[in-house]
Amino acid sequence: MNTFLRKNLLLIITLAVLAGFLAAAGRSMETSDFVITLLRGLSVGALTFLVASGFSLIFGLLDVLNLAHGTLFMIGAYVGWTVYVRPDTFVDLVTPLALLISGFVLADGWRHLAARVPTAGRWRGLAPWLGFAIAALLLVYILPRYPIAIWDVDDYAQSPVAYSLAASQGEVTPPPAATFTEIAPLVAVLGLFVSSALAAFSLALLRSTGQAGRALTWRSFVRITLVLLVGLGALIFNDALTAWLFALNTNWLFVVAVAVSVATGAALGGLMEVTLIRPLYVRPIYQLMLTLGLSVIGTELVRAIWGRPEFTMPKPELFAGTGEGCPATSFGDWLTYHCSTIILFDGRVRVYNEIFIPLVGLVVLISIWIVLKRSRLGMIIRAGVQDRQMVEALGINVRRVFTQVFALGVGLAALGGVLAAPSIGLSNTMGESFLLNALIALAIGGLTSYPGAALGSVLVGLLQQFMIKYGQIGIPIPFTEILFKPTPPIVPASTVLLMVIVLLIMPNGLLGKKE
Amino acid sequence: MTEYLLDVQDIHTFIGQYHILQGVNVRVPQGSITALLGRNGAGKTTTLKSILGLTPPRQGNVRFARQELRGLASFDIAALGIGFVPEHRAIFRDLTVEENLRIAERRKGDYARKQAFIFSLFPDLKRLIGLSGGALSGGQQQMLAIARALVPDNRLLLIDEPSEGLAPVIIEHMMAAIRQLAADATIVLVEQNFLVASQLAETYVIIEEGRSVQAGAMKDLVNDKATIHRYLGAA
Repeated sequence: MNTFLRKNLLLIITLAVLAGFLAAAGRSMETSDFVITLLRGLSVGALTFLVASGFSLIFGLLDVLNLAHGTLFMIGAYVGWTVYVRPDTFVDLVTPLALLISGFVLADGWRHLAARVPTAGRWRGLAPWLGFAIAALLLVYILPRYPIAIWDVDDYAQSPVAYSLAASQGEVTPPPAATFTEIAPLVAVLGLFVSSALAAFSLALLRSTGQAGRALTWRSFVRITLVLLVGLGALIFNDALTAWLFALNTNWLFVVAVAVSVATGAALGGLMEVTLIRPLYVRPIYQLMLTLGLSVIGTELVRAIWGRPEFTMPKPELFAGTGEGCPATSFGDWLTYHCSTIILFDGRVRVYNEIFIPLVGLVVLISIWIVLKRSRLGMIIRAGVQDRQMVEALGINVRRVFTQVFALGVGLAALGGVLAAPSIGLSNTMGESFLLNALIALAIGGLTSYPGAALGSVLVGLLQQFMIKYGQIGIPIPFTEILFKPTPPIVPASTVLLMVIVLLIMPNGLLGKKE
Repeated sequence: MTEYLLDVQDIHTFIGQYHILQGVNVRVPQGSITALLGRNGAGKTTTLKSILGLTPPRQGNVRFARQELRGLASFDIAALGIGFVPEHRAIFRDLTVEENLRIAERRKGDYARKQAFIFSLFPDLKRLIGLSGGALSGGQQQMLAIARALVPDNRLLLIDEPSEGLAPVIIEHMMAAIRQLAADATIVLVEQNFLVASQLAETYVIIEEGRSVQAGAMKDLVNDKATIHRYLGAA
């Protein structure tokens, strides 16, 4: 115990000083203000943590600084919003997406076929590109004609802003469904499947070395059957599914939105690692440029699809009550009336923003901790952070682990995004500020330390919120009459200042390991 | 022609721009201990890493159990049944001793199956099982590193400098363990300490400036003072 104290003396003193500041901050404001500010800090901290933890997992194991992480956080929010406010658009998208994936699910089979094709010959080199071209042509023909009911960014009455407004007022009138008019359903379905299969086969041809790959297993068949079932099911039961989702209680719809958003994030992350990051492990600088470029592309895509104006995502019913019995005075009341606010220490606390989000953050913190400590994947991650080569030398497929970790990290960011949406709203810039927060939090907590990411995020969140609060009530400077009110630009600056101070005292961050 | 478990044919390996291996041949018969000998920086460790594909050779062939290893990823090569005990042990410091062993499982239950054998070989590990890898002494880490390579069913063990930095008593223990392992597996050993190598290995390959220059039976080398002096310095 004594050695533990001595080893961590600096950390303990630093934390004690920070706790002292927090206590001092509490003394000069009312209890209700203090509690609310504390909870807000924890809320921002929780969202920051969701970005920071994924970022740090990816950086720790893969050595990739994923600068697109903030953008993926934002995409998570927009995807969640789409499922939540426009479930019809989501259902319409399931079929084409499933069909586009279907060809690639059969990759093992294509590899076998490709191995049978002679590797020499004049047409051999050209064939894959011909395949890609035909696949692309098919897509160019089908996709614009494929009916998807979607909002219209340029028409205010049909814009995401208008739909959000309607949804928040509880006016759930399903927009008119899109129907097959320009293209026959059979042609569209077959065309998409063929084009996906062709693209996947061409890819296999391109990569083929003439050696037979792994044997086809029954798993491939299960997978393709599942994908096709989902795709065709969504097509056949499109109307029923849409109607069901529109009629669904918003709490459950929110759960669906979160699940879809996390899954989309994970899929995007996995895809990004396999296609773009993987070829560049030997060129870290290029990787950095790539992720920076991807973040710009992602932001522009979001602007093109969802438009520039900011809009909000209505809170689920459980957190939206305002009528009788509100604001709730106890958690029992809140459970009965589902109030949006609750009275704690004489202050009105918003349940979703200031209680639900920190709770989810805590649950994620603990679940990921358990995954890291108890599962085989977690064991491999912890080992890989220290010595990737040795993990590989044990016969562990690190490539697959890399993809899984990238998917996990981006999935966490997407979760943060969709959780943040009902609280802070959706905007094209929401990703940047959280990425910046997360980077500062990681520098404070220790770049590759998982508990460090949590500690840093909470510190950043608390500091920001207390600064904002003191911007309103002012800090009396001792022995003077001056009331110092931090202006808004000081808020982000204060976190950077904290980072600088912490790094001066502990260059590896609070919980970082010495290299 | 004899069938070799491992057949390294004229490999050339580059690290960055440096042409480290310039033609190394190593033939390892099934069930033997082969020592790679040579001075510091001769390319012994790089040879082991080239076999595993950690530094893939640019030229030449490596065949393991009749299979050509060219183009395979390291983890695929290792999964064919090659265990690696690297220089400086590479124990995972943040993992417990047990986790260090468990992580080496290639099939579920490997650890449970081999546990008894591993603890009979290294009884000390049993009482250290809950400690983190970083808390072990050099000798304990070396035992753990070898034990880790024994968890899956490996047909070939590549052991790099097992005696480095260890006390004589512990070296004795290590040698006894390696001898016991040779009953089931084939071993390629890199060893600076000629006394240790000569007592363990049956065959040897001498590597000098990135080339394999001489190979044969260890019992012939032991009496060949001139060769020992020329390639290995004082013996």
